[in-house]
Amino acid sequence: MIEAASINAVMRTLADPTRRAVFERIVSSDEITVIELTRGSGVTQGAISQHLKSLKQAGLVAERAQGRNVFYRAEPEGLAPLVDWMSHYAVFWRERFADLRNLLKEIDP
Amino acid sequence: MNAAAQLKSDTQDIVVEEVFPHAPEKIWKVLTSGELMGRWIMAPTGFEPVEGKHFTMKTTAAGAWDGTIRCQVLEVKPNERFVYAWKGGHEGNVGYGAPLDTVVTWTLSRVGNGTRLRLVHSGFVLPKNETAFRGMSDGWKKVVRNIDGIAGEQEH
Repeated sequence: MIEAASINAVMRTLADPTRRAVFERIVSSDEITVIELTRGSGVTQGAISQHLKSLKQAGLVAERAQGRNVFYRAEPEGLAPLVDWMSHYAVFWRERFADLRNLLKEIDP
Repeated sequence: MNAAAQLKSDTQDIVVEEVFPHAPEKIWKVLTSGELMGRWIMAPTGFEPVEGKHFTMKTTAAGAWDGTIRCQVLEVKPNERFVYAWKGGHEGNVGYGAPLDTVVTWTLSRVGNGTRLRLVHSGFVLPKNETAFRGMSDGWKKVVRNIDGIAGEQEH
């Protein structure tokens, strides 16, 4: 079972363009610090820290402390609820197409 | 960036496309008749193929969601294009039954021996940029590949 409340957190978290950009930068690096994330981001280190907090709460990012540094990395499992949800509809529509084909065959032979 | 482009970049679509050996007019009728919809999608309540019209469909309930899908007809272009909003779900749900604010677009185009029918179910909030998936575990990449396969053609 997927961790409770995660889908909403994931959707809200990624709806924010800045936070999504932060997440994508974390994904494209193996591990990254707040300082590196702040560099060139156009926002303050405090803002980046807030985004990291949201990403952690949504289960999208994990952290590892080493000495005075904290390294952040992406957590692929965090996106799983969205994929499960979307794949439900992908299967649903495949089945509807099959039903549609049968119905058409019946009414328009 | 305008609002539509912004929305597009934030969401993923499910695309299914097939050619049917029937004329567009026949398929149009099956797509837009409430009685016929009940025989292959779900029986709609309050449906009329008129722009602005609200209707509902009922599917399997999940948690605090009673399974009602709230729809509104957005566009009707006979034998060519039929668009409706598709909303449902509840905040308390995870996965199936989670909040959904999406749009279903049917496009019909005549081909030699029938009709190409294209469904686009759009508005699924997912990180669109593939870089979001880069660097992730192989297991995850496999899941994404499967989804791509199910969803068919992806537009980038």
